[in-house]
Amino acid sequence: MQLRISHRTTYRYQEPVKYSAQMLRLTPRRDGEQHTLAWSIQAPGRRAEQVDAHGNITHLLTLEEPHREISIVVTGVVEITRTREVLREQGMLSPLAYLAPTALTAASEGILALAREHLEGAGPLRQRLYDLARGVCASVRYRPGTTAVDDPAAAAFERGEGVCQDQAHVLIACCRAKGIPARYVSGYLCSGSGHQGDAASHAWVEAWLSEAQGWHGIDVTHMEPAGACHCRLAVGRDYLDAAPVRGVRRGGGPEVMDVSVTATTIDAQ
Amino acid sequence: MRVSPYDEMLQSGGTPRPHCRDYWGWLEEQSQECLARKRSEADALFHRVGITFAVYGENSGTERLIPFDIIPRVIPAEEWSRLEAGLVQRVRALNAFIGDIYHGQEILRAGVIPAERVLCNAQYRPEMQGVEVPGGIYAHIAGIDVVRDASGSFCVLEDNLRVPSGVSYMLENRKMMMRLFPELFARHPIAPVEQYPDLLLENLKSVAPQGVSDPTVVLLTPGMYNSAYFEHAFLAQQMGIELVEGQDLYVLDDVLYMRTTRGPRRVDVVYRRLDDDFLDPLSFRPDSTLGVPGLLTVYRAGHVTIANAIGTGVADDKSIYPYVPQMIRFYLGQAPLLENVRTWILSDPQDKAYVLAHLPELVVKEVHGAGGYGMLIGPAATATQLDDFRARIRAHPERYIAQPTLALSTSPTFSAAGVAPRHIDLRPFVLSGREVAIVPGGLTRVALREGSLIVNSSQGGGTKDTWVLGC
Repeated sequence: MQLRISHRTTYRYQEPVKYSAQMLRLTPRRDGEQHTLAWSIQAPGRRAEQVDAHGNITHLLTLEEPHREISIVVTGVVEITRTREVLREQGMLSPLAYLAPTALTAASEGILALAREHLEGAGPLRQRLYDLARGVCASVRYRPGTTAVDDPAAAAFERGEGVCQDQAHVLIACCRAKGIPARYVSGYLCSGSGHQGDAASHAWVEAWLSEAQGWHGIDVTHMEPAGACHCRLAVGRDYLDAAPVRGVRRGGGPEVMDVSVTATTIDAQ
Repeated sequence: MRVSPYDEMLQSGGTPRPHCRDYWGWLEEQSQECLARKRSEADALFHRVGITFAVYGENSGTERLIPFDIIPRVIPAEEWSRLEAGLVQRVRALNAFIGDIYHGQEILRAGVIPAERVLCNAQYRPEMQGVEVPGGIYAHIAGIDVVRDASGSFCVLEDNLRVPSGVSYMLENRKMMMRLFPELFARHPIAPVEQYPDLLLENLKSVAPQGVSDPTVVLLTPGMYNSAYFEHAFLAQQMGIELVEGQDLYVLDDVLYMRTTRGPRRVDVVYRRLDDDFLDPLSFRPDSTLGVPGLLTVYRAGHVTIANAIGTGVADDKSIYPYVPQMIRFYLGQAPLLENVRTWILSDPQDKAYVLAHLPELVVKEVHGAGGYGMLIGPAATATQLDDFRARIRAHPERYIAQPTLALSTSPTFSAAGVAPRHIDLRPFVLSGREVAIVPGGLTRVALREGSLIVNSSQGGGTKDTWVLGC
């Protein structure tokens, strides 16, 4: 399937910003089943491209000229040929690197109970993961606009509602508590596929099934495997490792952020 | 029945050890009044220099003077050279280990250390995987804490490979002793230590990124509220380099610059005294205002050297420490010259059972604790404290290790009641660059309370000058 993606992020500041630095993870990963046919990033300032330890393509954006607005626009076409349920990806990091809890994925008592309920049973791991995903969706109901980006899993679990990011964090916390390596994925989900919320910017989870099988992508929010509609931007231990944009600035006062994302299948146009 | 500790200066029977005969003779001639006068002279001078130490967990006033003892700790030359060889060997192996973990992980493949113990450790930094560092050196400055056991042989209690501190006390204590007792320096062949800042600067320059001929080195401090700020300012001044805070540095493209009154200046080597977590808010803790946004990107591009490297904590964590002797065999093919202290890892069920059964004899430490906080000394603990630790261990065994209660060696120390033995340890500073070097000596910490085994300055410890004789 071919996806046409357009993602614009604009920051407007009340006062001039003297200096800003942004870490962008806005270029799709190269994973053998996901090919970037065209991709461009338009942004002010200087850009240094690297591949991080998770295999994500990063751009460090630095601006030292005073500015009151930053606009980052990425557009492109990605072809996804995912047919298998597991990823054949030889990364630099051992799966064990995705087993240690982070501040955002620390398990609370409630999360531990959820993990025990769904992961300790018999049956294939894949099956138990989907049982768990159902449990997570029931415990943390999907409700847009209910969360802050730095909310830990335990807080979302307490609240009982959240966005895909929270559901992903809770599932990751459960997996790790039971010794299953799990990682956070940020990316795009094509619209018109009948998915709840229809948010083109999305987050899901990859869980390590076994040495023989590898990573399995599971869209917690929709309780289904990540497939040809899921374009992978970045992976990491939690949101902070895989965030599409992380920024720091000097000056500027209050900011207003405006995001618009579209991801449409080319066949549908 | 406790084993009687080894005394650094006196043999059983109270006669001085051969290397201390001269000094002890001199000390016996000094009156208590004269020593007391020298002691208050030292206090007054230290106050003037402003060498203080912030104590966490104390509400009243954040800074106080670390007590200085006017009686030195003396190490004979041949003992020092054996210790030095052991330290060099150990730090070589630790650097090899860190390099291996962030590249091929041969030691994990070989099954010498369980992989999850390293890779699931909070101190393992995935961000460092595959990153090349100049000369393969990660722990440029290592503070290795050594103690003597009852038999008198040195063993390692702890490796400090992140941001070890205390070297300013080594230097200031020596200056103080030379000022108070110049005659002693005329009659004893005491190895000098004042070359440390030069050696450190040379060492930092030697690991600059490839192709940089005249590197700019800076010292990055978290700022004046840090407990070791005095040392940061002191070392920067001694080395003649800029003392900077995160806000004085910035990244453009993938290059690091320092703001100066004459415009931006490129920085090649950062001697940082700031923990990994705070170094770069774009990659580590996002709420850190102490670091430099984008620093990790510059580092991964090979455009700056960070000393110590990011991720060295994976080698000095208390849960990794028990494996250091195996690292020495694995990487160097040698038998360890310095022993470890026997350590029980409480996440291991067998070890846990043993420790719970023998708690009143043991010392229990938090795996991620430092500075003598959150620690239990079995023989000195009350029944309530023992019960409290039993509960804590049962709830979170992975957070603790245990060791035997060591009969740390003693050294004669000046006290209100006269010269009396007090327990001590030693932290030599090992510098790794193109070569591995150690100035003869280190920081001797002393537990000033009679019978106390806790030498940390935050817990009532003081310091002594450390003499290596006849080098």
